[in-house]
Amino acid sequence: MENFKEKSVFIISLALTLIFILWGIFFTDNLAKVTNIIYTGSIDYLGWVYIGTTFFFVIFSVYLLFSKYGHIRLGKPTDKPDFNTASWLAMLFGAGMGIGIVYWGVAEPVTHYTKPPYGEGYTIDAANTAMTYTFFHWGLHPWAIYTVIGLALAFFQYNKRLPASISSVFYPILKDRINGPIGKTIDILSVFATVFGIATSLGLGALQVTAGMHTIFNAPDTLMVQIIVIIVATVIFLISVNTGLERGIQYLSNSAMIISFAILLLILILGPTLTIVKVFFNTTGLYLNNFIQMSLRLRPFGEGEWIAAWTLFYWAWWIAWAPFVGMFIARISRGRTVKEFVIGVLIVPTIGTCLWMSIFGGAALDLVVHNNNHDLATYISENVSLAIFTFFDQLPLSTFLSILGFALVAIYYITVADTATFVLGMLSEGGTLNPSNKIKMTWGVIQSAVAAVLLISGGLEVLQTASIAAALPFAFIMLVMSYSLLKGFNGELEIQRRKKRVKET
Amino acid sequence: MKLFQVRKGQFVYYKNELHRVYTVKPVYKKSVHLIRLRDLTQHLCSAAEVDRYQPKEGDSFIFNHNVFTLNKDRKAQEGDYILITNPDPDYLDHYSLNEIEVVDTVENKGVITNNSNGIRHHEYLLMVPGRSENSNPIEFRDVNHSEENNVNESVPTFDIFLPSIGDVYKKKDPNSSLESMVVAIKGDIIYLGGSIEISEEELLDSTKWEFLYNILDQ
Repeated sequence: MENFKEKSVFIISLALTLIFILWGIFFTDNLAKVTNIIYTGSIDYLGWVYIGTTFFFVIFSVYLLFSKYGHIRLGKPTDKPDFNTASWLAMLFGAGMGIGIVYWGVAEPVTHYTKPPYGEGYTIDAANTAMTYTFFHWGLHPWAIYTVIGLALAFFQYNKRLPASISSVFYPILKDRINGPIGKTIDILSVFATVFGIATSLGLGALQVTAGMHTIFNAPDTLMVQIIVIIVATVIFLISVNTGLERGIQYLSNSAMIISFAILLLILILGPTLTIVKVFFNTTGLYLNNFIQMSLRLRPFGEGEWIAAWTLFYWAWWIAWAPFVGMFIARISRGRTVKEFVIGVLIVPTIGTCLWMSIFGGAALDLVVHNNNHDLATYISENVSLAIFTFFDQLPLSTFLSILGFALVAIYYITVADTATFVLGMLSEGGTLNPSNKIKMTWGVIQSAVAAVLLISGGLEVLQTASIAAALPFAFIMLVMSYSLLKGFNGELEIQRRKKRVKET
Repeated sequence: MKLFQVRKGQFVYYKNELHRVYTVKPVYKKSVHLIRLRDLTQHLCSAAEVDRYQPKEGDSFIFNHNVFTLNKDRKAQEGDYILITNPDPDYLDHYSLNEIEVVDTVENKGVITNNSNGIRHHEYLLMVPGRSENSNPIEFRDVNHSEENNVNESVPTFDIFLPSIGDVYKKKDPNSSLESMVVAIKGDIIYLGGSIEISEEELLDSTKWEFLYNILDQ
């Protein structure tokens, strides 16, 4: 019984995920049907929840930036940051965006161009709207979510010296009950959200790796190959956990950063440089100008299909990713002040993603808008996984770019799978920094299985729906987390004031 | 010609003393950047000037003016120093070969250091304060050699470890937090502030007293 108590988070969250996998294998049609019901339900009933909470996180993190808590240091007052600012920014950017930014960099602006949220497709206006919405989906909102959770995790880990689990964040509200059933429930929900967030990324990754192999080696682009990609990656992962190869993963993840940067520069030079610069400035203006309206946009009197397929999916995906990214950001941010943290996690990466999107999206839109190449635009929007490779084909040095792109996606896939199992192991073992290999391997297999099941039961759409559903409870957890963080900060200020008084007397 | 490749973290002998490589900067002539373990000072040199040493169980050396013996038998406790000899860092860890960290909490599978690194028990050797009886001192490659070769003045002898005026020591006693400075030395008898009189031998016993810093170094 004692043993069960210790491992309850692991056992219950594993059981829940296993039930889901079995459901997907034996009742595939039923799963597709249910996810479809959730999908439509999410448009009618849950849309405002996601829109409201995410917008709240943006306001909350901007408030923290200017608040009286700005000078609180994460860690002891004498702690110095472990990493210099440049590598700190590079690391958190890579963790926060990773595979998604490669997948959607070309596909999203072009798809919006063919089917904008409002107005007519294939027009100049549509191109501007497309870029603005891409900025919107990848800009302040995701980074605000990461700011809140990363800050909360870092503060309670370093200043309050609690274990590195999500339930620790609720200490000011729950006190010692964080070790009881309520705390365990929070941890289970966070594990559950993380599994689906990661499975979505792995699913997208498998789609894209297959598309890359199709372009470069002419391998068939079918479901069967996607499943084989997942299986091979899982086997590589299992081998790496049991041997010293894991150390190599760290080198891989560094090389991913370098490759991304190389591709970015190449496209900036090879592509329409001037247009890209113009796109960046113009879209930044549109984004800032329409910020509030876009943030709260719902369609009470019309069809909400577009918003559900894009905005809601992204918000849910970011929230599902949040425990994973938050852990990482917290770990690398010790010794920074709250103000530094918010600037580094909210403002700078937002500018970074906007630059990335301007370069990829701007160059891709230039291709389809200037030559009025509607066929190409339609082709990209219908073959989203192939988008980036189709785009490379239109540029000089296309083979070289395709190979770089393929390497990048493959590396991201492996590093995400590897690091995710570590975080899942941590979350499900009460926040220990030494999760056992057995538990890591279990999660490795489970998350691959979830990704495979989701792909089998309907591909991309089911992936999106699953994360919308799994992230919902965690959205509420994060709202309470903001309150708990404020309480924690107030306590910290109180302690500091008392210390000062002691010094003065 | 020496073809030994220097890597970050390795223990090496440079000018007969034990150093740790903290970084290798290939573009510089003096590409090997060392930290002398005895007093944590920085030294630059080239790869030809160093010889590698792999620390193992039973070795004893001086780290930051205190003597430690590497040990595997005792379980780590809170506050212990550990030497990471077999690093296998996870995703959220940031440590490398031969890093010296302080244990914060001890778990079943490993320890967590106060740098928030999770380190499994097989990855480190415990640094037990004091020189155990059968230990193999490794702070000098050749102890005799360093005394004979007086021409090379930069090679210090053991003299440096003798207490000098201005050294601040901390008493290793969980019940009291006594820090005191050496104010006078009369032969073997050391006078510490707070009218403490003890023998040199006792003060240098790192299980009883811990050297903190010299007031002149500040």
